[in-house]
Amino acid sequence: MNRRYIVAALLGFSSLAYAQDEPLPKADTILDRYVEVTGGKAAYEKRKNEVATGTLEFKAQGLKGAVTRYSAEPAEEYLIMEIDGVGKIESGMDKGVAWDKNPMLGPRIKSGAERAQALREGTFNASVHWREFYPKVETTGTETVDGELCYKVVLTPKEGNPETTYYQKKSGLAVKTTTVAVSPMGDVPFEVVTGDYKTFGGVTMPTRITQKAAGQEFSLTIQDVKINQALPADRFDPPAEIKALLSKAAEKK
Amino acid sequence: MRIFLACAVAAALCGQSYPPEKQRQIESFEKVWTTIRDKHWQKNPGGLDWQAIHAEFYPRILGAKSDEEAVTMMREMLGRLQQTHFGIFPAAVYNDVEGEGGGDGSTGIDLRVLDGQAVVTDIDPGSSAERTGVKPGWIVVSANARPLEPVIQKLKSDPAIHELALERAVRMRLTGPVGDSIKVTFLDGANAQVTRDLELRPERGQTARYGNLPPMRVFFETKKLGDTGYVRFNMFLDLVRVMGSFADAVQSFAQCDGLIIDLRGNPGGIGGMAMGMAGWLVDKPDQRLGTMYMRDATLNFVINPRADVFNGPVAVLVDGSSASTSEILAEGLKDLGRARIFGTKTAAAALPSIFERLPNGDGFQYATANYISAGGKPLEGIGVTPDVEVKLTRDGLLAGHDAVVDAALEWIRKKK
Repeated sequence: MNRRYIVAALLGFSSLAYAQDEPLPKADTILDRYVEVTGGKAAYEKRKNEVATGTLEFKAQGLKGAVTRYSAEPAEEYLIMEIDGVGKIESGMDKGVAWDKNPMLGPRIKSGAERAQALREGTFNASVHWREFYPKVETTGTETVDGELCYKVVLTPKEGNPETTYYQKKSGLAVKTTTVAVSPMGDVPFEVVTGDYKTFGGVTMPTRITQKAAGQEFSLTIQDVKINQALPADRFDPPAEIKALLSKAAEKK
Repeated sequence: MRIFLACAVAAALCGQSYPPEKQRQIESFEKVWTTIRDKHWQKNPGGLDWQAIHAEFYPRILGAKSDEEAVTMMREMLGRLQQTHFGIFPAAVYNDVEGEGGGDGSTGIDLRVLDGQAVVTDIDPGSSAERTGVKPGWIVVSANARPLEPVIQKLKSDPAIHELALERAVRMRLTGPVGDSIKVTFLDGANAQVTRDLELRPERGQTARYGNLPPMRVFFETKKLGDTGYVRFNMFLDLVRVMGSFADAVQSFAQCDGLIIDLRGNPGGIGGMAMGMAGWLVDKPDQRLGTMYMRDATLNFVINPRADVFNGPVAVLVDGSSASTSEILAEGLKDLGRARIFGTKTAAAALPSIFERLPNGDGFQYATANYISAGGKPLEGIGVTPDVEVKLTRDGLLAGHDAVVDAALEWIRKKK
């Protein structure tokens, strides 16, 4: 027998054997396992709000800043980024209204797929609630990310573009997500790499987040997360400029 | 014999060593070719098989008999892209563009090259030029006894040097370290030679910092010309202050007959600021100034209408030194029918482009994105053509008139 054929046959056989021995786990299992390895549903449910603080950097541009994110049940969010030379960038979600405001583009209310995306990201303890947002989830294969074998899971939301998340086979932690982000400036291919998982208030979460989009790289380092804080009642109220836009839109109707 | 053959094979495999001049030519060619391969907004730059371009040009570069011949070949290679903002400037010209002088100190004189002469168009309030009686319309003859005319003629004769670069090069000769002074000779209104010893002070405005960019002085000027609002700023930088000042100005002009945005001499800056400013002028939702095409993304320059938009007529003033973000804002507003453009054709330099020095000393310019305005027209290499072409003249400046502002005011008056 030709030696080359033997090698090829062996390789083919070993590949088949791997596939037969280790069928891909269902996406539901991988997503539920993520909740378990990061603390479990009960730990998540003890959390009613969260205040995360950290730093951010656009390394290539030399821009640095500070970030604070307030979030609370069920889907309240207020994010502030203060970047040197750029100013204060705010975004939020309050009673279903998703908005953002920055010194460059001004205040804006999100709608359509962009609002749906903001709602998925702004929902408190979002990892526990994945079934509410993704009617279809599917494990499509394995891939090595940073030397670790990962399951590749495609999550298709009710509205918006599918997201592909890579979960480490060994740890069950999510290490990368790719999607096409919806923004008023257009659909932008987007990659988020997550790492340095740490535990705050019983739930383990990534503290190093690197985002790549439109040729720009942006890194976020979470330094502290405080759970179940006494937040002011108006913490999630949109700023006056957003309220003015809401009033104007209501008048037009 | 076997040793000799082995050495010959090794030499062939490991590459040859070339004389220093040839090595510089090769390194420069590789730098240009690799930069286009890695940074052009199209994966196949200009729709070309870029690898095949390398295969075609590399042997030619090896055979080039001089630096000039190698540069001509590299220019031919870039010419295949059939796109502007890709060029090689010979070291001598690049040095002229970078200019003598340089430093944070300014005489306070703004100038334009009109009919081949550097003519004072504006003087910063409080500057040494103002204090010593320099007037708009005077011709700058020399700086520290070095005449400007030869530089202007040399740069004007190179078709690759546009007005923006020319005026920047001339202006650079009136700069130096803060605290120094420059002896500047002028032709005054009566064409008499006068010399002024001008102290160099920090440029007008405030120092702005933005990431890795060097600190730059940015000013924002606002005033009322009769019942018309007027704003001018020298760069789209100092984001928080300039955007805030623009917002305040537009709101304070709410009852005015019209608004003039003077972008003459403004070389651009942060592209997104054009979108933000347009949000104060455009009431209709879902509008965009244009679209930027990059290798891995397409970005729409969208406009978010503010709650209290300025609805009166808007005139935008431009000239050959209005570039990049200035062109994006002017052409976008023009395409949307929201502004009338006055002045002269802009720099046609809207793309984010980068200048780098090649190993052979030449300057290499390349663009990393393409931009199409709302009307479907690329700005690159075409620029913004004003609706009303008005040129500054020396006589007008000497008489205290800004013909471009006058034309805009007249249009706003008629729209009333």
